[in-house]
Amino acid sequence: MRATRWLLAYLAAVVAVTFIHAPWLLAALLVLALAASGAGRWRIARRAVLAVLTFNLTVSLGYAAVSLWQGNFSVVYLLLVNLRVLLMVYLGFWFVARVNLLEAVRFSPTLGFVVTLAAGQIEAFARALRDFRLAFASRNAAAPALSARARHAAAQAGHLLDKSVCMAAETALAMRSRGAFDDYAGLPSPACVRGPGGEVGPVWRPRRPGVVTAYKKP
Amino acid sequence: MHIPDGFLSPQTYLPATAAAGLAWAWAARGLRRSLDEETVPRLAAMTALAYGLGLVMVPIPGGTSGHALGVAMLGLLFGVRLGFLAYSLVLLLQSLLFGAGGITALAVNALAMGLAGSAAAAAAFGALRRLNETAAVAVAAWVSVVLSGLFVALALGVQPLIAHREDGTPLFFPFGPAITLPAVLIPHVFIGAGEALLTVLVWRFARARKWLTPPAGGRGAGGEGLERA
Repeated sequence: MRATRWLLAYLAAVVAVTFIHAPWLLAALLVLALAASGAGRWRIARRAVLAVLTFNLTVSLGYAAVSLWQGNFSVVYLLLVNLRVLLMVYLGFWFVARVNLLEAVRFSPTLGFVVTLAAGQIEAFARALRDFRLAFASRNAAAPALSARARHAAAQAGHLLDKSVCMAAETALAMRSRGAFDDYAGLPSPACVRGPGGEVGPVWRPRRPGVVTAYKKP
Repeated sequence: MHIPDGFLSPQTYLPATAAAGLAWAWAARGLRRSLDEETVPRLAAMTALAYGLGLVMVPIPGGTSGHALGVAMLGLLFGVRLGFLAYSLVLLLQSLLFGAGGITALAVNALAMGLAGSAAAAAAFGALRRLNETAAVAVAAWVSVVLSGLFVALALGVQPLIAHREDGTPLFFPFGPAITLPAVLIPHVFIGAGEALLTVLVWRFARARKWLTPPAGGRGAGGEGLERA
């Protein structure tokens, strides 16, 4: 449950940050977060800066241009919005670096389970798409036509659909073979099933209520 | 199109979170009842799929490209509820793992893209499919992107009106709807065209693989969607 407490603390912190409108206080909190986040602080800070750079630069430059033209430019606003966004993104990356996200969402067995499966599959999808892009680039010495790029995008999307169906079926079979759907069949609702440490165990209903399963948890 | 953290005021994201909570409860209601060995892995796979589709670059005339949303595809193939849930999970993972979007903007992003996008796609498809199915899919995808863009632009555009200092200096996003609406909608008119093309091609792909069972009301536009015939 420690991870869940960190999650709640993170959520409370980001909400609190949106109520602060003093740039100096946001800067102080950012320095405090940097100081508290240990040896990995510069790596996290670099990630945070890169994550916000494009959007914030666009908004900041747009604001500067429009407000200078209208004669109401405020450097305090630029500091405020950039420090706030940077602090919030930094807190997010710090949270993820410090806490196992899968542990943090264990308060909901279903959410934890879906996040675990999805995070694993996202990696596989990202790898497949990288391969697609490299292959497409290697096949096209010159800039490809719009129709070729459209066909390529459709092929990628079609492959992802195909792969997701196969992965869902494969995962269902793997889970079934490990008794994930049968272990607690016939027991009361999830809230009532607690392990020796008080944790709520994952409870999956059998596909047909009342089905007699081959394996019962001892 | 995602709104990042720090640009939405609490006056926006707190009510939006409450509304999204109700919408998530509605979307998960039927799912929870039928949570079994097929629906749980399927939801996870759809979440990963929606994330993957967000990585697919949609070509835009002129040589540039934008990201596919994939919401129309999810809404048409798997239904509004599953599409909304899957896309919300994608936004959650993207904000926590990759810093894209944001945790305070999660509800607004989920409502604008996940719910409005998939519902608009399903509604447009349902209204037009009798005329021409391919055109209905294309229009549904285009409408879903443009409508999502409209909601995102409005959510950003109201910030200087509802959250500012006494002298009028904004506290969150600085531009009003007069700037955000064209800035977001004009590119998304073209992204929507690319996404429509992509969605039609994937729709035909899904049909060729017999994923689409004859239409049955309520769930996805293709009935149960991923049921293999």
